[in-house]
Amino acid sequence: MSDGTGGNGNGISTGEIRGTGTAAVRTQGLWKVFEHDGFRVEAVRDVSMTVDQGEFVVLAGPSGSGKTTLWNVIGGLTRPSEGSVWIDGIQIAELSERKLARPPLERLGFVFQAYNLLPVLTALENAEFTLLLRDVPSDERRARVEKLFERMGMAGLEERRPGKLSGGQQQRVAVARAVVGEPALVLADEPTANLDTATSTALIDLMAELNRDLGTTFVFATHDTRLMDRARRVVRLVDGAIVEDDRRD
Amino acid sequence: MSARGRIRARLALRNLRRQRRRSILSGSAMVLAMALLVFSRTIAEGGHEDWIDAGVRMGDGHVSIQAPEFRTRRTLEHRLSPEARAAALEAVASPLVSERMVASAPRLMVQGLASSSSAALPVAIVGVDPEGEKAFSALHEKLEEGRWLEPDDRLRAYVGARLASRLKLKEGSRFVLTAQDAAGQITGQMVRVAGTFRSGIPEMDEGFVQIPLATAQEWLGLPGAVTSEALLLRTSRDVAPVRRELRAALADRTDEMTVLEWQESTPELYAAVRMDDWADYIFHLVLFVIAGTAIVNAILMSVMYRTREFGVLRALGLERGEVGRVVFIEGMVLTAISGLVGMALGAAIVWIFFRNGLDFSAMWDMEMEAAGVVIDPVIVPRFHWNQILQSLAFILAIGSLSSIYPAWRATRIDVAEAMKFEE
Repeated sequence: MSDGTGGNGNGISTGEIRGTGTAAVRTQGLWKVFEHDGFRVEAVRDVSMTVDQGEFVVLAGPSGSGKTTLWNVIGGLTRPSEGSVWIDGIQIAELSERKLARPPLERLGFVFQAYNLLPVLTALENAEFTLLLRDVPSDERRARVEKLFERMGMAGLEERRPGKLSGGQQQRVAVARAVVGEPALVLADEPTANLDTATSTALIDLMAELNRDLGTTFVFATHDTRLMDRARRVVRLVDGAIVEDDRRD
Repeated sequence: MSARGRIRARLALRNLRRQRRRSILSGSAMVLAMALLVFSRTIAEGGHEDWIDAGVRMGDGHVSIQAPEFRTRRTLEHRLSPEARAAALEAVASPLVSERMVASAPRLMVQGLASSSSAALPVAIVGVDPEGEKAFSALHEKLEEGRWLEPDDRLRAYVGARLASRLKLKEGSRFVLTAQDAAGQITGQMVRVAGTFRSGIPEMDEGFVQIPLATAQEWLGLPGAVTSEALLLRTSRDVAPVRRELRAALADRTDEMTVLEWQESTPELYAAVRMDDWADYIFHLVLFVIAGTAIVNAILMSVMYRTREFGVLRALGLERGEVGRVVFIEGMVLTAISGLVGMALGAAIVWIFFRNGLDFSAMWDMEMEAAGVVIDPVIVPRFHWNQILQSLAFILAIGSLSSIYPAWRATRIDVAEAMKFEE
C-alpha cells in the first residue's frame, strides 16, 4: 500500500499525481456507491487525485456530479465503498471509528455551506473549538483566535453568539475555526452559497489571503464561478468521475 | 475534568438554557411527579406510622419478649418465669434500647370465659399494670362508661362495651372470669366492672377484659410471671436495632424466650401496611412513566432538531460516544434540576399546608378499621431522610433511563446525512 506521499496514480483518472513532499490529500481508486431499494448510484467513480500542500483547488461540477460526496469522503465524513484516501500522509479510509475522529483535529478544517456554527457557543468559542478538543492552553487559544479575528475584521465580535452575527460574519468565524489549528487541508463545501456578492468576494479574498500568507491548502466543492475564477486549479466532475483537471499555475 | 469533558458539559448545559421553554415544559412533568412523590411518601410514611403506632399500642408493642411458642399456643404453659422476666428487663435496660423506648408493658394473658347471670362468653383476659399500660396503650382513652383501672385496684375489670352489653353489665356490676390456671385446673375469679371501653375494633369490644396484673398472677397461681413484656418504641424505624440488641443480649436464653417484632406479632397489620406500600409503588410507577416519557420526548425532540449540529460536532472531532454523552448529560441535568425543584416544592407544600395533618374525616363518615387497627382520619405527614434517598434514586433512575435512548440515537447520526438536515 502506498504511503500517500505522491507517486503515480493508476491512470484511470484524469488527475495527474504529482508533488514530491507529503500531499495534503491524495485519493486512489476511490468509489462511493449508494444502493437503495435495488437502485445503485455510483456517486464517485474511480477518482484518483493529489492535492499538494498550499494548493487552492476547486472541485466543480453540476448538481449531482458527486463533488459533495467526494468532498465528504475526503473529509472522512463518509467512508468510501472502495479505494483509499490519505490526508497529510494518513490513510483515513482504513481508520477505526474512534481514530477517524482525530484527523479533523490536527489535519483537517471544515467550512460548510450553512456556516454550521454551534449556536450555544460564542464566536470565540466556536473558533477555538478544535483547539479546545486538542487541549491547547486557554491563553494560546485566545491569542490565536484574536489574531485571526483581527485579520478577518472580526475584532470585537468575539463574545457574540452566532445568532447575533450576519451571514458573512458567521462564515468568517467558520473559516477561523477551520484554519485556527493550522491544518494540512481546509475543505469548504459551497462556502459562498448563502452569501451576497460583496460578502462572497470578501470571503474569497480572505481565504485566498490565508492560502497565500499561511500556506493553508484549500479544497472547495462549489459551482460558484467567482470562486472558480480565483482557483489555481479546477477539477471538474461529471457523473462522479473527474473529466478535467485544469491547472492554472 | 478533562478539556473534552468540560466542552461536553458546557454544550449540554447551554443547550438546556437555549431551549428554555422546552426544558421548562418537560421539566415541569418531572417537578410535578417529584412533588407528588414527596407528598404521597410523606403521607404514606405518616399514615403507616400512625397505623403501626395504633396497632402496636393495642397489641404486643413494636417489640415483645415472650416464650417461644406463646404466639401460636396462647397458653400459660408458655410464659416468662420471674427469672426469665428479670433477664428480659435487664436487657431492656441497656442504653440502646432504653433511649428508643417510650413505654413497656408487662402482660399476663389467658383465654377464658366471662359469665354473668345473663350469659357466658369466651374472652381474652389480660392482666396489666395500670400505670405502665396507661403510658403504653390507648385503650384507657376509649372509655365509654366508668373509669380506667387504678394502681390500687384489685378485683376490678375494664371490659369491652359490646361484651358488657351482651353480659348486661354496667359499671360496678359483678361477673366471673374462668380460666385454666398454671396447674391446669379450671379456676374462677369474681371481679367488678370498673369501666367499659369502645375501641372500634369488634374483636376487642366483644371479647376483651383487662384486670390488674397482680390480681391475674395471684388468681392463676403465677406470682411474678408474665406471658409477654411489650415495648413501645419512638418509631417503627427503631425496631430493627432494638430487636438486634435484645436478641444478642438474650442469645443464651432462646429456649426460654424470643424477641418478636410487630411484623411477627401482628402479621395482619404488617400485611396491610405492605399492601398499602405496593399500592404506593404502583402510583410511583405511573409517576415514573409520566415523568420519564416527558423527559425522553424532550431530549429526543432536541436530538432530532439538532441533527445537523451533532453532525458538525462529529465532523469537528467529537467521537460518537462523546456526542451521546452530551445528550446524556442534558437528560440527567434536566431530570436532576427539575427533580430537586419538585422535591423542594413537594416538601414546601406538605410543610405549609399539611404539617398539622391532613384531615380525611369528611370523607369517612364512620370509624375506619383495618387489620385490627382503628385508623385515625387525621394523617400527619412525616419526613424521613430515607425518603430523600429514595427520591434521589428515583431521579437518578428516571434521568438515566430517559436519557439512554436519545443519547444512543445521537451516536447513530450519520455525519454526511446530518449535513443535509434542514433545521
